[in-house]
Amino acid sequence: MPLTWTSKGNYQDMWVFCEQNNNQFVPCSIEMLGEARRLMDKYNKDYSADEKVVAVVFGYQIDALVQEAIERGADVVYSCDDRNLEHFLLEPYTKLIAKAAQGKDTYKSYDEPRYFLFPATNNGRDISATALAALDSGLASDSNLLYINDELIRHPVKTKRGDKVEEIVYPRILHMKRPDFSGFEWSTILCIDDEEKDFHPQACSVIPGSFKALERNSQRKGIRIPVSFGLVAKDLRTKIVKREALPKEADLTNKDVIVSLGRGIAKNPTQGIKLGLELAQVLNADVGISRGVVTAKYPVDPAYMQYIRDVRQVGETGQKVKPKVYIALGISGAIQHKKGMDKSKMIISVNADPNAPIKEFSDVFIEGDIFEVIPKLEAHLARALGGTK
Amino acid sequence: MVDCIVTVKGVPDFREGKVHFKEDNTLNRGETPTVLNPSDRIALMAALEIKVKHGGKVTVVSMGPLGYKTVLQEALEVYGDDAYLFSDRQMGGADTLATAYTLGMGMKKIGLPDIVISGFKTADGETGQTGPQTAWLLDYPIITHVISIEVDTGNRKVLARRLAGEDIEEIESPLPCYIITDPNFEASYRSATHRLRFLKLQEETRARAATIDSVFKAWNATELGLDPKKIGLKGSPTIVNKVEAIPTAPRERTAKVISGKDDQALAEVAKQIAQAIRG
Ligand SMILES: Cc1cc2nc3c(=O)[nH]c(=O)nc-3n(C[C@H](O)[C@H](O)[C@H](O)COP(=O)(O)OP(=O)(O)OC[C@H]3O[C@@H](n4cnc5c(N)ncnc54)[C@H](O)[C@@H]3O)c2cc1C
Ligand SMILES: Nc1ncnc2c1ncn2[C@@H]1O[C@H](COP(=O)(O)O)[C@@H](O)[C@H]1O
Repeated sequence: MPLTWTSKGNYQDMWVFCEQNNNQFVPCSIEMLGEARRLMDKYNKDYSADEKVVAVVFGYQIDALVQEAIERGADVVYSCDDRNLEHFLLEPYTKLIAKAAQGKDTYKSYDEPRYFLFPATNNGRDISATALAALDSGLASDSNLLYINDELIRHPVKTKRGDKVEEIVYPRILHMKRPDFSGFEWSTILCIDDEEKDFHPQACSVIPGSFKALERNSQRKGIRIPVSFGLVAKDLRTKIVKREALPKEADLTNKDVIVSLGRGIAKNPTQGIKLGLELAQVLNADVGISRGVVTAKYPVDPAYMQYIRDVRQVGETGQKVKPKVYIALGISGAIQHKKGMDKSKMIISVNADPNAPIKEFSDVFIEGDIFEVIPKLEAHLARALGGTK
Repeated sequence: MVDCIVTVKGVPDFREGKVHFKEDNTLNRGETPTVLNPSDRIALMAALEIKVKHGGKVTVVSMGPLGYKTVLQEALEVYGDDAYLFSDRQMGGADTLATAYTLGMGMKKIGLPDIVISGFKTADGETGQTGPQTAWLLDYPIITHVISIEVDTGNRKVLARRLAGEDIEEIESPLPCYIITDPNFEASYRSATHRLRFLKLQEETRARAATIDSVFKAWNATELGLDPKKIGLKGSPTIVNKVEAIPTAPRERTAKVISGKDDQALAEVAKQIAQAIRG
């Protein structure tokens, strides 16, 4: 249940939940610390303030991680070092965050953090949601661009005073931009107080790879604050009984040749995949897909199910590939897809739409129906490659 | 017997050719048909698996405009014994926190089940926040990214496998609990009895979907006893301040454009590809 109903509280600092896996930060954790450092350095200048970057690090035997968080940009690290917390666990981690964010201690005398960032990984998204439910505040997801400034707002509810909707300047607002609606739109989410209630922290999850981490700097100083509270049995009611590494089914990141399928396969998905696989075989290539294929959930022949799973997705939220040759079959070329493949040396695309955006970043654009073009291209390739495959 | 509630939502149909845009290239929701959110179909299949194996009741709930009745109908085609729609003008514009509160209160009024199941993400909101937040407000233990479930009714426990980034975890939780299915969730029916029951339940639910009214109820904010400060726009900490069309990627390569019907050009491309692979 929500713990707070704050109004006109005192808020400070930017907090960053630093997820670790097997005692290593996931890359997004240090990327967020880097961005938090940049944002707060600018914030402190703009507002003549002295607010901090605060890292939250939980786990077991995490001294090295605490040190790394400081060297990567944190001024303060809230840590909890406990055998029970070795691996990510949603409930106790959430309670510890809520406790640190709302409690008072030698370092923290304000009511709640001003801003809070989480990684948009599986675990990071989950805890962003539960933590902000516990803190009773707002959350944007999947941001990849952040900035802070004062914003003039006119909103039918938030800025309604009496019967009138007014224009009100909200100071120090974190602007959280995110691509959404399956990549068609880009929206700016704000977390805004209303007349009766404050909504802090202003929080979001951050897409991995959006920001640059800082180089480690051993000269940087910071303080460590242990958080603890007697975890009770109820906090540990979900237990990890087994944990094993996920077999890396389809690692495309080091492939020389990749054939990727998009929703262009829609009119006959099974046949489309089959054609893609045949082409891949001639090229000794691996098969990737756009997210369009993942979300479409095509009813395909069970033998081909493995080719429409998200593990093969190329793009911003999938694998980033850089083969010698990337062949995009029926992929429109959304910016999120582009981010995962535009480092390819040669990009060939096949698309029925002569104006498909992917044309703008292809070396060769073949206009046509993939169901007709693939077999032809395949035959020519078999010849061109001769005995070399 | 294991009772389940499944949360489902309607989303714009994002399939090729169905999406309509406004002049500024943002989504024209009015013109784009609404369908059952694809990942909620998976949540429903998980509930069906539990029903096949353990019996009990599957209730489908949604918060949204009255038009969502068709979405619930689509959900019942997968599986549902009954369906509830929480619908009120005041609920409009809810962000995930306000949605979670509304769904949680609605479930309390229906009667809290052994297992609540939500989909991973909506195809339009794409936050993946609503499930965990609803679970938190209900004080249910949560297992997210679930790819398979076993219920141990004797010990009132759930054993679920979940995707945790680079790892697969097996999680044990007491009942009641909250499950969020991963898009990779798969139901498994190994015994013939289960497969037969699956077919029979499917047939029954399709009949129910066709005549949804006898199992369908809509409740408004007053009927649900909701705090007006916690729902809709008013109860939402976040606002969408601006929506822009995502700019198309800037031109970076100048494509040689050829027609898929031009055999000679295709042969030329094949040669280039072969060269690029060798080089
Ligand atoms: C937060 C977020 C992250 C995302 N991350 C990714 C990501 O990592 N990777 C990714 O790929 N997407 C990602 N997306 C989704 C992305 O925005 C697009 O929706 C997706 O890439 C579209 O896939 P598509 O090109 O296959 O489908 P569509 O956009 O539907 O395009 C299909 C194309 O196929 C063509 N076509 C149709 N039929 C034929 C035919 N018979 N022959 C030839 N051509 C045909 C059409 O002209 C069209 O150009 C993300 C979105 C969001 C919101
Ligand atoms: N308005 C709603 N009504 C019912 N369920 C919802 C609603 N919004 C979200 N959900 C559930 O929460 C999941 C995640 O949604 P989201 O947080 O919007 O990505 C969905 O798959 C649904 O199961």
